[in-house]
Amino acid sequence: MGEISHKIEKPLQINPIRLSQPMGAALAFLGIDGCMPLMHGGMGCTSFTKVFLTRHFCEPIAIQTTAVTDVTAILDGGDSSIVEAVHNITKKVTPSLVGLHTTGLTETKGDDIRGAAKQVDFPMVYVHTADYEGGLESGWGKTVKAIIEQLVEERSQVQSDKVVLLPHVSMQPIEVEKLKDFIALFGLEVVALPDLSTSLDGHLGEKQSALSSGGVKVEAIVSMADAATVISVGASMQLSAEALLKKNAAMRHIHMDHVQGLVATDALVEQLLALTGMEQPPASVVRWRKRLQDVMLDSHFSLGQTRVMVTGEPDFVAGACELLSEAGARISVALSTVDSPQLEAINAAKVMVGDLEDAEKLQAEYDLIVGSMHAEALAHRFGKALVLRGFPCWEIVGNQLKNDLLYEGGAYFLCETANAAEAMRMGSHD
Amino acid sequence: MATKPKIRELLDESACAHNKTKTAGCNKTVPGATTGGCAFEGSQISLFPYADAAHLVHGPITCVGASWETRLTRTSWQGRDMTQMGFTTGISTNDVVFGGEEKLRQSIDYIVGHYAPQAVFVYSTCVTAMIGDDIDAVCRQAQQDHGIPMVPVHAPGFVGGKNLGSRLAGEAVLTHLIGTLEPEETTPFDINLIGDYNVTGDMWQYAPLLKELGIRILSTLSGDGRVARIRTAHRAHLNVLVCAKSLISLPRKLKEKYGIPFISVSFYGKRDTSASILAIAEGLGDADLIARTKQLIAREEARLEERLAPYREIFRGKKAVLNTGGNKSWSIASALQDLGIEVVATSVKKSTQVDKEKARKYLGEKGVLMTNPGAEQAKIIDQTGADLLLAGGRSLYTAIKKKIAFADVNQEKKKSYGGYEGLLNLAEDLKNALENPVFKNVARRAPWEK
Ligand code: SF4
Repeated sequence: MGEISHKIEKPLQINPIRLSQPMGAALAFLGIDGCMPLMHGGMGCTSFTKVFLTRHFCEPIAIQTTAVTDVTAILDGGDSSIVEAVHNITKKVTPSLVGLHTTGLTETKGDDIRGAAKQVDFPMVYVHTADYEGGLESGWGKTVKAIIEQLVEERSQVQSDKVVLLPHVSMQPIEVEKLKDFIALFGLEVVALPDLSTSLDGHLGEKQSALSSGGVKVEAIVSMADAATVISVGASMQLSAEALLKKNAAMRHIHMDHVQGLVATDALVEQLLALTGMEQPPASVVRWRKRLQDVMLDSHFSLGQTRVMVTGEPDFVAGACELLSEAGARISVALSTVDSPQLEAINAAKVMVGDLEDAEKLQAEYDLIVGSMHAEALAHRFGKALVLRGFPCWEIVGNQLKNDLLYEGGAYFLCETANAAEAMRMGSHD
Repeated sequence: MATKPKIRELLDESACAHNKTKTAGCNKTVPGATTGGCAFEGSQISLFPYADAAHLVHGPITCVGASWETRLTRTSWQGRDMTQMGFTTGISTNDVVFGGEEKLRQSIDYIVGHYAPQAVFVYSTCVTAMIGDDIDAVCRQAQQDHGIPMVPVHAPGFVGGKNLGSRLAGEAVLTHLIGTLEPEETTPFDINLIGDYNVTGDMWQYAPLLKELGIRILSTLSGDGRVARIRTAHRAHLNVLVCAKSLISLPRKLKEKYGIPFISVSFYGKRDTSASILAIAEGLGDADLIARTKQLIAREEARLEERLAPYREIFRGKKAVLNTGGNKSWSIASALQDLGIEVVATSVKKSTQVDKEKARKYLGEKGVLMTNPGAEQAKIIDQTGADLLLAGGRSLYTAIKKKIAFADVNQEKKKSYGGYEGLLNLAEDLKNALENPVFKNVARRAPWEK
């Protein structure tokens, strides 16, 4: 394990990769069917978030704003703009849930969103997500916790074959689907919260863009606590899992820091076998494990001579670093958007919280970057290979169809990364 | 001296048409409205294209974390292109409690030390305006310490929408930059371009023509702009406002303060491009220049016609429905007509009075001005037998349902549609849309559907 620095040394951020908590909250609410995420703040926060997510997912994105102005910012308690917003929108559509979350402005004001929630006639979940704290991942995690605390009904019985899956924010829609399917292969019934795999997965359909479409149903959330098992993926989802366990003492909890690479996937399979009493996993699982092993061998030569920088949300960085390390890639820099307990466990020469200016200063230490579109300029300037992952990736289509998880996704990811490294080497020789 | 502009005064823009009528001002934000940015975003759009300056956003991460590197504003600046960088104080809980001025001061020092910008623009945002950080004082001190302009921009998001933010940006430039430097030389044909941000290189489509005529762009706000040049803007003979009603306060004030006349132009489509170039020449009032301009326009139009000929065949008899906002509701309509496409309807949902008048002028009596395009456009496509829908991505489904071609005009632009050259880009894109089989294929039913 190398050096870990948790603190940002500079007074400012230059070319930031950190993203905001309100954005994470909005994204979590988009994984619920018929939900209306309502951001309590100035119009810009919502508008930026909407454009950001629309360009990333190439999908219409439903987010509403309370449009706080100088008058409301200074004078009132904030209730009126929330109630007015709900009123204005519900004239046209009927949400199954209103997902109210704050921003820096309304947190600075100290608005009583709990009080406002009481004045609204629709089912509502409220959550505090100041954007001067945490980041995308914590905004998502806090929101899932709030949804569980405020919606899920207590139970004492369990259905033995039912599993609740709590995915972290960096899992793409297809990855959530693949993980659900994987668990289902063991004969289990899975409910994911949130479930972007059915809302932002890029399927062509009629869109009612004032509300989210697809995603987990509110009724399914309400009755979630009768599952025998909850599987949380990512350190950021620990608190959500704990909140769910409080709803039913008979539930058992499986936590995975990530499900990337051979070792982590093996661990998950072991748990699922124990859970179901099966002796052998389904044939397709066995087959994909062999394929991953083969790819690890095929790619190890290239990856073994490649020094990699991985950037992004902590839970993503942890998983990607592990997968790459297993095939011999040397992770010289793991650059996280924000601090997280995950950082302690990352296998890299340098683990730090920072921005792309920090990454630029370290450019002599890596050959390949795994990161978002913002890393493109950096990769270009210094002739590094680039594998686009994380938020935002605007210049490419199909983000929601990229799968890096489990045996199957791991195999594809290693191929892609090794090919990118080779292409870079070819490029630098002519 | 406080430099915070008076918001009320800016909202009452006397050069805005709606102030002559009784309609509402520019600053109406509606809780529960789905779209529209904030004042900070407006100021960012207006000033970030100065690529030789650092743009430091004093606020939490949302403001710039979600918005840097979003716009393809192109620059010829040879140094590091700071318009494609994000600088933020990224304030934390601690700053909210104890104030962020010290952090701001240190951030400016860091930027000047590491990036040697020509100026630093400092943007206040909702949170830092709310906690009362005095960015004026910090900027004044930093300007003394570093000897380069420091420009405080007071456009926190909660004061209003994008248009107001643009005005506030103009105000900041007027107060802190314009008139602070004398140009090395002046020519009788010096102009300022205001409101073209050179997105996808729009400005470069017509700037060479102006140059050929001997018209010099003394400064811009802010496409391909330079801080040193905007400081000399008070010496221009004409201000040319490009398609940007939001910045209209600035040329009006420059007229009051320095006696510089101004005109409003648009460079979308053949007719508008020609009319605009001529208007600039006429605005400069030189008979010889006007004569030469007419010759140049004739030459360029003939050249364009020749290159458009193959497209005209394809577009003959084609009808389009246009659903977009602001000045695009008429400027793109005009460009489409120049290509020989009939525009049967355009949206005026979010348009100002002036935009509506212009839309009516271009579309004629028969054209439909849609006030609720979401509901109206499908019906109009049926009634008119339109072949093409130009709209934002959300309307794609309407086009698929109606099995007609679709072009996204709201997506962040990748190609320039400005000037004569841009019209060819537009023609090519529309040709591709009309010929693309994807719309029919996607509408195809699965074998198991009846
Ligand atoms: S509304 Fe306020 S906090 Fe939000 S992006 Fe605009 S300036 Fe920033």
